[in-house]
Amino acid sequence: MRDVAERALDEAVAAGASYADCRVVVRTVQTLEVKNGRVARVALSDDEGVGVRVVVDGGWGFAGVDRIDAGEAEEAVRRAVRIARAGARLRSAPVRLAAVAAVTGEDRTPVVIDPFSVSLERKLEVLLAADAAMARVPEVRVRDSSLEFVREHRLFASTEGARVDQTIVESGGGMDATATSDDEVQTRSHPNSFGRHQLCAGWEAIEEMALPEHGERIAGEAAALLTAPPCPSGRMTLILDATQAALQVHESCGHPTELDRVLGDEAAFAGTSFLLPEMLGSFRYGSEKVTLVADATAPGGLGTFGWDDEGVPAERTVLVDQGVFRGYLSSRETAAVLDRQSSGTMRAWGWSRQPLIRMTNINLEPGDSSLEEMIAGTEHGVYLETNRSWSIDDRRLNFQFGCQNGWEIRDGRRVGLVRNPLYRGITPEFWGSCDAVAGPDEWRMWGVVNCGKGEPMQIMHVGHGAAPCRFRDVSVGPA
Amino acid sequence: MLRHSAEECLALADAVLAAVPEGEAEVRVVEDDLALTRFARNTVHQNVAETGLSLRLRLVAGGRVGVAEVRGNAGGSIDRLVRLAEEARRVAPAEDALAPLPAPDGRDGPCGWSDATAEATPEQRAEGVATVTTAAAARGLQAFGALSTRATQLAVVSSRGVRRHGRRTAAALSAVVRGEDGAGYADRHAVDAGDLEPEAVAAEVIETAERNQGARPAETGLHEVVLSPYAVQELVGYLSYIGFSALAVEERRSFMRFDERLMSPSVGIRDDCADPAGSPFPFDAEGVSTRPVTLIDGGVCRDVVHDSVTAARAGVANTGHSLPQPNTIGPWATHLVMDPGAVPASELVAGVRRGLYVTRFWYVRVVHPLRTVITGMTREGTFLIEDGRLGAPVRDLRFTESIVEALDRVQGISAERRLQLGEDGSSVVVPWLHLGGFRFTS
Repeated sequence: MRDVAERALDEAVAAGASYADCRVVVRTVQTLEVKNGRVARVALSDDEGVGVRVVVDGGWGFAGVDRIDAGEAEEAVRRAVRIARAGARLRSAPVRLAAVAAVTGEDRTPVVIDPFSVSLERKLEVLLAADAAMARVPEVRVRDSSLEFVREHRLFASTEGARVDQTIVESGGGMDATATSDDEVQTRSHPNSFGRHQLCAGWEAIEEMALPEHGERIAGEAAALLTAPPCPSGRMTLILDATQAALQVHESCGHPTELDRVLGDEAAFAGTSFLLPEMLGSFRYGSEKVTLVADATAPGGLGTFGWDDEGVPAERTVLVDQGVFRGYLSSRETAAVLDRQSSGTMRAWGWSRQPLIRMTNINLEPGDSSLEEMIAGTEHGVYLETNRSWSIDDRRLNFQFGCQNGWEIRDGRRVGLVRNPLYRGITPEFWGSCDAVAGPDEWRMWGVVNCGKGEPMQIMHVGHGAAPCRFRDVSVGPA
Repeated sequence: MLRHSAEECLALADAVLAAVPEGEAEVRVVEDDLALTRFARNTVHQNVAETGLSLRLRLVAGGRVGVAEVRGNAGGSIDRLVRLAEEARRVAPAEDALAPLPAPDGRDGPCGWSDATAEATPEQRAEGVATVTTAAAARGLQAFGALSTRATQLAVVSSRGVRRHGRRTAAALSAVVRGEDGAGYADRHAVDAGDLEPEAVAAEVIETAERNQGARPAETGLHEVVLSPYAVQELVGYLSYIGFSALAVEERRSFMRFDERLMSPSVGIRDDCADPAGSPFPFDAEGVSTRPVTLIDGGVCRDVVHDSVTAARAGVANTGHSLPQPNTIGPWATHLVMDPGAVPASELVAGVRRGLYVTRFWYVRVVHPLRTVITGMTREGTFLIEDGRLGAPVRDLRFTESIVEALDRVQGISAERRLQLGEDGSSVVVPWLHLGGFRFTS
């Protein structure tokens, strides 16, 4: 792999590149799925290739090819160079990159049990047991459970001398129970929706999920939701479980702090941001209870790595400090626009796509409350669990989220299950109304495996540490 | 440009099949070549290309199924592919009632292919981009967007005798143009990159952007609306996602109630893989010929799409809408076509005394599948309609609305339609719509 990268860089320099980098990626994935008592899918896949990025005549070019072969990599360089030259004539200014030290090193996700050492039979046993547990509830019509394991070996090399080699290991799993009636469809998931929860970890992460132990519970909840009363409507106190808090962070903090969006690079597709550079250090994003960080060094997160895909070391960056907007997710190019250093958040989907600014682990720092304290301190409100739908505008201000499960709270107690809950708000007003965040005991790292961005589209795995949190005077209602 | 011929793809599939020691097998070969030039602030800021070939093997033996996929050095990975698929097959519990792989059906159909798209150069993409950025700059505006060209070929060969090859191309130009206080949007999708009409895109997006400056808030509530095709394709696409699959009906999560009229009598939606207005492609992921399916006819729910699994369970004909098997998603309508009306789009606006014109929806998500309730935002061009004419711009609004109920309020459908292509090879052909009411919620 190293030889291929060196040949690619040599070719880029010879072709006139003022900067080039090369990523050689080998990705192995196991996917297992059980649906309604049957093994629906056992799929094993390998994916390997080379992605080269060049700056020629002041413009970017990128090409990916599906061979780890020096000759093919050189051909990809020639394609990238031609592409860069074609676009360079339309640039108003040449690419400028913030400086970064040329690093060398190796890194590997620490795991207790290598998930690829666990037999496929054992993995299917877990899924079939989870399915059987869900099947104990007759109202559940569809039962779906899955596991996914990823091992990605990435070599990064640049013409500035960086040479880093890292192996990322991910383990994920989850299950959904869907109950139906003539006029309702209700799904409950464990540990999270979107198919699964995932971490940079080994098989121990799957054991901790305890899928079979939660099967009957979520199935019963799905069935109960069919006849639960609709979520109450009006302005009231809202408490989010940690998984929904994680998604709220993702959509209303993670994306708007991406500096490429702020500068307009994503304006035609993913959108822009309301968090403008002149707001840094002064804009009140949320209440003093709200501190948010981008932390690629946090153990277990899907955004945890040694170096990003520009060879910048993993960093912890404060985005919001006690409610005040402080920082961005940035790349070498976007950081240079603000005369800053990259915060190390350039990540690419495999070898075939170029790196973009992506979330690492965007974490809501734990507070000093607890879920039970928050409920006890609520006169009238709802406690919502597990995301069902999510939508936010292109500047990341106007949002509406739906959850799978809701509990109405009266006089400090949960009084009953409610169905089809929604809440809506405007980002800084919403975070400004946050008056409690649960403490470290209830704080967990969550994984989001479906974050889409860029053209062509790249799906990224990102992490969010979060705990239950409470918001006052929020617009809540039924779907 | 694709690096393999049809014969080479089929030969690769044959070689995999020959390496399978026992049982039935299906091999899919997919080769893809994609290039995309992206621009922002009137300058090219990302410029990419990728090429790759993947091999996928489905092994069926002893009542067990295993799947493996290899991308990268695919030609040199046949042994590994077979070994992985066998490893996956070996652990699956045996099933008595495993359906056989589909047999050849002897049919064929057109492919949406253009040499001009497949052979498009970076210089040609830059030229198309420059048409938009130069026009925007001349008006003191900034353009953002992308121009992409893509060529894909697919071969499916099975031990049951299926032997299919097809190829398609897709080209797209999308543009947002921003002024001091507002933006516009326009796009074109085509099989042939020569049909992208950069000048028309530039004119349309600049006109919308210049009209959409200094937007004011609008009242929420039920508004009469005219939706452009960029917005309509979201309604039709999500209707399909929610309910046009036989599996969704089987699992009781589809809104479809057969032979009942749920929408306006003027609404007709079909899936037609041969419609020349779309992106023709003749077979599905199992190599089964895709048949036209009437989904909604005169506002009445008529049929849904099937794959080999749902068709066998329902005892009906397979319509050829399979994703790679096995999967838990079910069949997928990939060539949606909404019937046109008879009036020009401009007359739809003329027929509204007071309402809203919506250029585009954004971040649409399902809120309640059975009631087909979705939510999303308007984006880059929402305008008042006053006395039959486009009026002042209004700020973006959130909608939360049932698609079925909205389509029951159709008051007019344009004769003109636009094509939208997805990254997955799917296509949607839709007109402008005049709806008697559409619910905006915040």
